[in-house]
Amino acid sequence: MPAAIEQSDRDLADQVRLAGEEQAFRVLYRRHTPALYRFALRLLGGDELEADDVVQETWIKALEKLPGFRWDASLRTWLTGIALNTCRSLLRRRDRHWLEVTDERAPTVPGLPVGERLDLEAGLARLPAGYRTVVVLHDVEGYTHEEIAAQLQIAVNTSKSQLSRARRALRRLLTAGDAQAEGVDA
Amino acid sequence: MNDDQEFELTPDERAAFARLPREQAPGRMLEERTVHALRAQGLLGRGRQTSPPVWRTWPTAAAAAVALFVSGIAVGQWIGSRTVAESMTAVRDRSALEAAAAVQRAGSAYVTALAALAEFADSTTNPGFVQGREVALTALYAAARELTQLTPDDPLAVAIRQRLEAFRSANGNGEAQDIHRVAWF
Repeated sequence: MPAAIEQSDRDLADQVRLAGEEQAFRVLYRRHTPALYRFALRLLGGDELEADDVVQETWIKALEKLPGFRWDASLRTWLTGIALNTCRSLLRRRDRHWLEVTDERAPTVPGLPVGERLDLEAGLARLPAGYRTVVVLHDVEGYTHEEIAAQLQIAVNTSKSQLSRARRALRRLLTAGDAQAEGVDA
Repeated sequence: MNDDQEFELTPDERAAFARLPREQAPGRMLEERTVHALRAQGLLGRGRQTSPPVWRTWPTAAAAAVALFVSGIAVGQWIGSRTVAESMTAVRDRSALEAAAAVQRAGSAYVTALAALAEFADSTTNPGFVQGREVALTALYAAARELTQLTPDDPLAVAIRQRLEAFRSANGNGEAQDIHRVAWF
């Protein structure tokens, strides 16, 4: 179908907000959910059931807050922010100190066969949630440290230091098999 | 703009990040689950509410479901025969379009109830969950039976009924005994 007749997010959102139009919601859902789902799945380390719950909760919160959405940002950006907050709540319930990752809590790679490498997605999933979140937001989603700091309610410098540690830990994970093959203590 | 300077990624690492997929479709049931949750909260469909729901937590929902179930049986038994007769008359008077709409509403209610039941899916030893699953399967079978009587030549309806009958035979469940274990109201 030509793009010209595709309804805008705002038109569809208005139909949902003003008349509870289910069909309009379904169009929005199908347009934005694949990105939201991938985002949540990545932040949650690949847990599909939790990612499902986050997506559903994101849409519920979005429709509740829709009357107050001012369209200063795109709908996708707004929805992603809601999904991020929902993931944060979930991660905080798992571990109250989930963002306070230290090198002592950095991951190891037990049982990785010599010479075998993790791919990037698997490496991200093995990072502690606090590291993973900063890497995903910065290196995958393109957030600035200021944006990360605002979203996660941390200092900008904390975001920077966490990213450095997280990248280092990720590189260790991704090259662990190589290092073992070379007899180097990773 | 990315502005980290302390631990730079290599070009290969940057390329690997850029190649990561940005989208992935979830399971198809999630859309229906989400729509039903939104409808249940009055955020979609007619009669939308503006205030947030007060029954979000599952203990409240479970208590409400039990209360509804018990009161439904009591009231249903008391006025059962009279309302069934009146209902049947009303159904016959409806147009096919209205009847189809009623089927759609009933289907939505069925899926919503299953979604609520699915929240207890991690407790498969729970007698309530086991009973709920059995009732859901029996309702599905009863619907398939009605559908094949309505459209005997519909290959899809016939196939569904046959699969369910085969399953129930394999599991030692006679058709009649199971259907009558469920109180329809």
